[in-house]
Amino acid sequence: MKRRRSLFIHLSHIRLLAKKFAIVLLFLSAFVLMLINKTDTVIIDKTSSVATDIVSPVLDFLVIPAKALANVYDYFKELQKIRDDNRRLREENRQLLILRDWARALEIENHLLSGLLNYTPPPESSFITARVIAEEGDAFSHSLIAYTGDGAVQKGQVAVSDKGVVGRVDKVGNMYSKILLITDINSKIPVMVERTRVRGILSGDNTATPRMVFIPLSAELTVGDRVVTSGVAGVFPPGLPVGKISSVEKNNVKIKPFTNLERLEYIKIIDYKLNDILSAEDDDK
Amino acid sequence: MREDETENFSSFLQKLIPMASSLLLLLVFYLPFNLPLLDNIRPAVGMVCVYFWMIHRPDIFNLFSVYLLGLMDDVVSNVPFGSNIFSLLLLYLLLTNLQRFVSGKSFAVMWYGFMLLSLVVFLAKWFVLSVYYSQFLPFVTVCFSYLVTIAFYPFLSLFLAWLQNSFMADED
Repeated sequence: MKRRRSLFIHLSHIRLLAKKFAIVLLFLSAFVLMLINKTDTVIIDKTSSVATDIVSPVLDFLVIPAKALANVYDYFKELQKIRDDNRRLREENRQLLILRDWARALEIENHLLSGLLNYTPPPESSFITARVIAEEGDAFSHSLIAYTGDGAVQKGQVAVSDKGVVGRVDKVGNMYSKILLITDINSKIPVMVERTRVRGILSGDNTATPRMVFIPLSAELTVGDRVVTSGVAGVFPPGLPVGKISSVEKNNVKIKPFTNLERLEYIKIIDYKLNDILSAEDDDK
Repeated sequence: MREDETENFSSFLQKLIPMASSLLLLLVFYLPFNLPLLDNIRPAVGMVCVYFWMIHRPDIFNLFSVYLLGLMDDVVSNVPFGSNIFSLLLLYLLLTNLQRFVSGKSFAVMWYGFMLLSLVVFLAKWFVLSVYYSQFLPFVTVCFSYLVTIAFYPFLSLFLAWLQNSFMADED
């Protein structure tokens, strides 16, 4: 009886001690996870992809009522706009018809000139359309989770919307993938100003307007200038629209993306057949 | 005998409510609503849930619930793994020591308590992630996220209080 009592006291002591140190252990585990994340991205990438694949079906289910709510709002909003849009579109259509003829003429001219320059066309690209099921845009991270289907995408491929570059594939799961937005602090894209061909790097900073850095001191930049991908490093093909310059201050050029990254329902993930470059990147890691 | 079993099952379900509701809210706020009101606004739902349940039902919402919620937040978001766990554990640690100042007080006091504690947590998370990235994250956006979280607190806590009053028995 006495032995049982002392055993009980002993056990309760251990339990109390364990409770006291549990919080320390869990804190440590959080730091260890961050450390692993910093040093060995492969393990975290794989774990994260598997975890995303497990959690995402729940998000996929929850997104249905969320979309219905958004649709109701959009419906009422659209009704107001529809008359104005109609008038505007008629005028736009008239102008586009003129431009189409002009574009045809330019296409023929371009074809002839390309032949003269022995120009090599870009590799055949293919794309898939992915549905956005979750988005994250706060002070600490900017990303999306999209339903990309089975094995259809690879890490590093380019995500675009109808208006321009959205980001690139960061983590690939079996059915779902995480897309790193161009506004995320980890995003760095070689870009150039379309008008002046000044090159730089579009660097996300977790705000809605990423910065353009590594610009030559003599560069002439004006608010409203279009910024496109430069194609340097070969991950992004040149010429994809990214955004326009929204402010130019000393050492701080802000770019406003063409795409409203908070309002994405579908994105296009393009495979530019740059697998060699992407796999080389992975090998380096 | 059957009544006992039903009662046990009902009590088990009630114990699941804090965790299940927190996870659900966490996921819901990651959904793309496409509403202008929610553009670039993501309150730190995990913090609100931890604060609410730690004050109202500390008997059910324990350390491991906090850890699990942080882990889930890390899985869905794209922040470095462990950073959301860290922030929620920090809130847990602060609350276990300061709970007596806010527990059982009026809503205004609780809200004020949340403002203070979440400020510490936001600043700590900002600092840890700035060290992680080896560069300071923009402080303005952190302030904005903090203010949004504070603004959302009454609505989220109202919902959680409704859940508690409607579906949960009083603390033993």
